[in-house]
Amino acid sequence: MSPSGPLQLGFIPLVDAAPLIVAQEKGYFAAEGLSVSLSREGSWATVRDKVAAGALDGAHMLAPMVLASSLGIGSETKAMIAPIALNQGGAAVTLSTRLAGEGEAGARLTHLVRRRQEEGASPLTLAAVYPFSLHNYLLRHWLAGLGLNPDVDVRLTVVPPPRTADLLGEGVIEGFCAGAPWNAVAEAAGVGQTVVRVSEVWPEAPDKVLGVTEFWAAANPAILQSLIRALAGAGVWAADPRNQRELVALLARQEFLDAGPEAITAGLAEIAFAGAGVNLPRPEQAVWLLEQMARWGQIGEVAIDRVAERTWRPDLYLAAQGD
Amino acid sequence: MRVLIIDPDPARAALVAEGLIGIDPLEVRIAALFHEGEAAAFQPDVVVVASESPDRDTLESLREASAVNPRPVVMFVDRSEPGLAEEAVRAGVAAYVVDGLSAARVRPVLEVAMSRFHLMHQLRADLAKAKADLASRKTVERAKALLMKERDLDEEAAYRLLRKLSMDTGRPLGAVAADLLAFAGVLKGGDSA
Repeated sequence: MSPSGPLQLGFIPLVDAAPLIVAQEKGYFAAEGLSVSLSREGSWATVRDKVAAGALDGAHMLAPMVLASSLGIGSETKAMIAPIALNQGGAAVTLSTRLAGEGEAGARLTHLVRRRQEEGASPLTLAAVYPFSLHNYLLRHWLAGLGLNPDVDVRLTVVPPPRTADLLGEGVIEGFCAGAPWNAVAEAAGVGQTVVRVSEVWPEAPDKVLGVTEFWAAANPAILQSLIRALAGAGVWAADPRNQRELVALLARQEFLDAGPEAITAGLAEIAFAGAGVNLPRPEQAVWLLEQMARWGQIGEVAIDRVAERTWRPDLYLAAQGD
Repeated sequence: MRVLIIDPDPARAALVAEGLIGIDPLEVRIAALFHEGEAAAFQPDVVVVASESPDRDTLESLREASAVNPRPVVMFVDRSEPGLAEEAVRAGVAAYVVDGLSAARVRPVLEVAMSRFHLMHQLRADLAKAKADLASRKTVERAKALLMKERDLDEEAAYRLLRKLSMDTGRPLGAVAADLLAFAGVLKGGDSA
């Protein structure tokens, strides 16, 4: 333990923050001798800045954020690593019920986009939760599969997850890609309809990871090992169906997600917190994410393999499990 | 000056607004949440956002996307967040520590942020121009070398010829030189056109 006080870990109110919340509330941190203070954050940019500045020791992060920060895109360069992956699944694209109608949702969207172009109307606005996120890449990939160019045929914007349902209802956006529980929240509010889930497209894509700076990891190797074990144990607890009622009640609490239990339950059905290959951060995943970033012009010439080896650290995960 | 304040804490937003009194002309809009359509209609000169606002991600993505219409973003940060202000500054947001912020300090903070933003904007524009100038000078050197070789001129005469072409056509020297090189490529059957 650092003598200066408890570890500061950040999270964004999402179902996939469960491993941190469970580790804290069900005693997995305590069992490893860790004293932790969880800090609920409002934006990914603030999570990034706080981890980079050392105001947080680590955080629940979008997997591509670790890469963006290490490469210095969107912010100053700060070498970060992912020593454990927290979950797979949960991201989904939800379109406004205003676009509902006969036939397949994608075909309807394409038709509408083309019609608006012929009429000279403004492009439809769709939102992702952050530029460097699986959600952005899923939305773009799905649009590209419909024959649409996400940079030309629609307008893409960024919206914080808790506001997606409201903005969809107000007509500010016509669709979004976000994590759980926000797709279910939009459906429950009657404003949106989920049209594609990441599990149908990229079932093994890493969603959130624990992000820490390379500097912090090197300075605190023992604490990091304890942290990895606590989060892995909490993931197993969260994945156990027998614990689901308790987990839903825990996440729904005001200081955590502050969202309805039904939407959280629906979100949990989409997410894997443990199981074969879920938590091991494999560099191939980072390579794949870097390829997505390159596909959409976020990075240029980059030594992909070297960046992946340096940021995704299965060695640290395996060393922690080996104790 | 038009100021858009995004802060879920009305008391702090009011403090910021109070500090702006005396600026003339002044239009302040306070919102708990950022609304892109309203912001576009309002055309703020500066956006003030609280560090804990979820809208930071939206503002940051707008800043990246809106190279055509950049505007400074000022962020107020609590003193309880060590290092965050410095980190945000490096990320391109002007950030200020809010704890103990008095209304009297708001105005200078915004003015410093805006002038620094415009300075950075100017520096970026200057850098782009310097790069273009350098490229243009290289083109002129190559065109001069071509004329010296093909027309058997000395350096001085080749330059005078380029200058004359530039003045006769009313086009910049770099553009005339680039044309010359392109045409030379075509005439030689090369692919530089």
